Amino acid sequence: MDIEVKNLHPLEVRLLRHVSLGEPITAERLITELDYKVGQCNQAFSWLLAKGCIEEIDRSHKVVYELTDLGREYQKNGLPAERIFAFLSRNGAHSMPEITEALGLEKSDTGSAFGLLSSKGVAKMNEERKAEVIKDSLPEDIQMQRALLDKAVEPGSLDESFLSDNEKAAISQLAKKRGASSAPFKLSERDEVVYRLTAAGDAARKAVIEANITGEEFGILTPEMIQNGTWKNGTFRPYGINAPTSRLIPGRRNAYSEYLQWVKDKLTALGFEEFDGPLVENEFWNGDALFMPQFHSARDIHDVYYVKDPVHAKKIEEPWLSQVAATHENGWKTGSRGWGYAFDHEFTRRQVLRSQGTVLSAHQLTKAKVPGKYFGIVRCFRYDQVDATHGADFYQTEGIVLGNDVNLRNLLGLLKMFAEEIAGAEEVKYVPGYFPFTEPSIEVHIKHPVLGWFELGGSGIFRPEVTEALGIDVPVLAWGLGIDRMALMHLGLNDLRELFTPDIESVRMRRGN
Amino acid sequence: MPKIDAPENIFYSLLGRKMSDDELVAIFPVAKAELDGHDAEDGVIRIELNDTNRPDLWSPAGVARALRTYETGVVPEYGFFSSADVERDSEGRMVIDDESVLGIRDYSIGFAAKGKAVDDDMLVNLIQSQEKLCTNFGRKRKTIAMGIYRKDMIKFPVHYAAVDPDKTRFVPLGMTEELSLREICEKHPKGKEYGHIVSSFPLFPYLFDDNGDTLSFPPVINSARIGAVEVGDSDFFIELSGPILDDLLLAANILACDMADMGFTIQPVKVRFAKDTPYGREITVPYYFQKDAEAELSLIEKKLGLPISGDEAVSALAKMGVKARVEGCKVRVECPAWRNDFLHPVDVVEDVMIGYGLERFEPVLPHDFTIGRISPVEEFSRKVKGILVGLGFQEMMYNYLGSRREYVENMHVSDEKCVFIANPMSENYEVIRPSILPCLLESESVSGHAVYPHNIFEVGKITIKDDSDNSGTVTKDSLGFFSSNVHIGYNEAASYVNTIMYFLRKEYTLGEVSGDERFIPGRAAQIMYNGKAVGIFGEVHPQVLESWGCSMPAIMCEIDLDALMA
Repeated sequence: MDIEVKNLHPLEVRLLRHVSLGEPITAERLITELDYKVGQCNQAFSWLLAKGCIEEIDRSHKVVYELTDLGREYQKNGLPAERIFAFLSRNGAHSMPEITEALGLEKSDTGSAFGLLSSKGVAKMNEERKAEVIKDSLPEDIQMQRALLDKAVEPGSLDESFLSDNEKAAISQLAKKRGASSAPFKLSERDEVVYRLTAAGDAARKAVIEANITGEEFGILTPEMIQNGTWKNGTFRPYGINAPTSRLIPGRRNAYSEYLQWVKDKLTALGFEEFDGPLVENEFWNGDALFMPQFHSARDIHDVYYVKDPVHAKKIEEPWLSQVAATHENGWKTGSRGWGYAFDHEFTRRQVLRSQGTVLSAHQLTKAKVPGKYFGIVRCFRYDQVDATHGADFYQTEGIVLGNDVNLRNLLGLLKMFAEEIAGAEEVKYVPGYFPFTEPSIEVHIKHPVLGWFELGGSGIFRPEVTEALGIDVPVLAWGLGIDRMALMHLGLNDLRELFTPDIESVRMRRGN
Repeated sequence: MPKIDAPENIFYSLLGRKMSDDELVAIFPVAKAELDGHDAEDGVIRIELNDTNRPDLWSPAGVARALRTYETGVVPEYGFFSSADVERDSEGRMVIDDESVLGIRDYSIGFAAKGKAVDDDMLVNLIQSQEKLCTNFGRKRKTIAMGIYRKDMIKFPVHYAAVDPDKTRFVPLGMTEELSLREICEKHPKGKEYGHIVSSFPLFPYLFDDNGDTLSFPPVINSARIGAVEVGDSDFFIELSGPILDDLLLAANILACDMADMGFTIQPVKVRFAKDTPYGREITVPYYFQKDAEAELSLIEKKLGLPISGDEAVSALAKMGVKARVEGCKVRVECPAWRNDFLHPVDVVEDVMIGYGLERFEPVLPHDFTIGRISPVEEFSRKVKGILVGLGFQEMMYNYLGSRREYVENMHVSDEKCVFIANPMSENYEVIRPSILPCLLESESVSGHAVYPHNIFEVGKITIKDDSDNSGTVTKDSLGFFSSNVHIGYNEAASYVNTIMYFLRKEYTLGEVSGDERFIPGRAAQIMYNGKAVGIFGEVHPQVLESWGCSMPAIMCEIDLDALMA
């Protein structure tokens, strides 16, 4: 294996430089000779093992008693039994509370230490219920405990394999005092592994020396290093540039909303002004103003959501109401013969959730400028079972073009412009379509580089029954674009419901193409 | 959009030749039709028709007629139509509408057809045409109901009258026992489906022959005897009833032409109405009732953007099955007997366009100069979104419809401001959202797996009741944001609000909040701008988090952007 020595961590570098081929390498060595911490030893070993620079040659199980803070205190000030023995030897018989008080011990420690002394026949309770010493030396096991504490204080721990059987028995008592909050020794077991350099490791060692990498190179550049100029005194350790990166959670726009914004920007760039409106509409604007007869099948209770309360709008704006009603009944002044039925003035006020974006085009007619181009990307509601291709509510992209001389050929030109600019279409095909509010009506089909042929949108020239009843006497081109399929493709999705998912993780990870 | 099944053999014979699917796809647009599928195994071509104003196209015969005519440019002629000027011989066949039907279902008309014995495909096809006309054009039989009967069993004249629904009894099609008309409405499947059209009247419509034998109970069900048409029958009487005479005449004309195209001889029937009509008290059906339409050549040029001559327009219209002639600077159109969709001269213009060929119109861009701009609220929203993104928030987008549980109960708020739907399809979508906050909480409730902190926001619309508006409701543009983490609280929320308002250049003050159960009491504030409360923020009350099944502390805020922009 080729080792890129520049990428070695200082812990690895220093280890490699320190050892030579054939030598045993242990954690103990690194701790004593290189001043590594136990954790640093483990890091260095695991990295070098993974790189094949070292190999394991021996492994032994090791039981070690580490001296605790309490153990250090006992070693310095004496075990409770030693202190009680010394106190009683010096001051004569005393009651238990007096001993506890005088030596500053815990009550339970006094109790158990005296219990130990008395069981060994070194102390007893006299007739006055006071403790007194009856021998002049401490029992053997206490002496042994003292010896162990003294022996442990310098190295900080005792290796079980170097202890005699008696010592083992004594130390196990000190390490395992049940119920005690702490003990003078802590038992720890670990595997001690012996490693040695492999041939690759030796090569790496030589390469490190050759490259003059010492492991003392600078790691993080600190403000202090800059201020005091110490950065000038060494070199910087190069980092592994392919190290795995950590996950960042940025603040972000929603990818679908960004796509809609892109479409809006496209349309404004093409000279369109945006319109908008409320979600609650009435039958007048949602259908009547678009010359859809009140009995039209798309106005059925199974196609439109009705508002429960208030059921009706207070009024419909004039002169639009009278003009539209007359147009439905007999064509009014529009040159149409109308639908020939009695316009229902109550039905027209009934409130619904906007079911088509064209509603806002109708509203816009009443305030539009000539010439004028307008668009909206607006939320609509349709009475549909929610599934992968139908949402409870969805966006429609619609617009109008007003002008003295706009005609079918302009409409085709407009559709071509949308197809190329917004859909990136390769080919465009027009076919006659049908919409209740336009005549003639045109559908535009496009060949998309990814999606193939599909219907991009519907369009037409608003019927005079629509425009004239709303006070417009120039031709009005009306168009709608189905951009959902392109949005799904852009986002790599295939289910419309996903566009409005509440799942934070999935929105965080989503990105456009 | 109506869809029809056309049996291959019938369709190809009506077309006069076999056409490949590719040919069909290419020519279908002239009839605003689409090839929806071709089941080679069953030999059925599925066709979708887009023009809801052209019921003549909702049958294989109608589509074939349109395509044939488009290819040949020859307008089909039918010799069986009577009109104001011509009356065809009805040979003693007659339908008499009794005055008792007036106000209930005013008209019944009919015609007869004789041909070769029908086979299975033809019968199915005939019933399909009947169904499309009655369901799609006849508004589920409300305005058109049609019955097909075995003419050889009928003694003319046929009588159409309103009768006592409890005393009049007959055996309906699909049953073996006699039922009264009222019992049919209650028990027969068709009675349950269509009985409501007439059941509120004291008397029900009834059709019977001169012997008193039942033809049907229109618009509900035929009799099991005269009304039971079978494979092998060759002699039919077709009857249509409804309240709008023109619709009935049109449907009769369409079916008569379809049957003639399939080889039947159409036999006219005289109808005596119960009241005066624009066509008199007695007419002979099929009856040509349409009026001529016309369009100025200048209108055609203005709408289509090409100077099209009178002769070009006339031959374009012929391809659409429309006879026309040039009269000065106008094209005068004789509407085909099977159509009634020339409401306005622009309808003539469209037929000229299709007949002339859409591919012959070269696209040109509109040349008017206009200034494009996004709406003020879009512009403001973009600023707001930019700030929130900078603060580390993820933009979300939600549906605007939801349930009472989400918008009301889980939020511990009252529903008095909520705009409910009267006819919800499911309780999951029964309210327009009155606030963005429940949507943000829904996100939190389904996103326990997402790395914390959760910082999310949406700029979108909400709708609440507002009596001052004409609709009694108001739609507002709103900002909602939400943040959850182990350590989060009022101070963070207040800092976010402060930052947002600073960069929007909006001076605000804070006001006390009381009685808002969405927030921990004493840890929420109202945002006051121009003396009005325009928003609220604070620590989400644990009872709200619990209702949503969330266990991370959170803050949330909602600001009315319309009020801030004002």
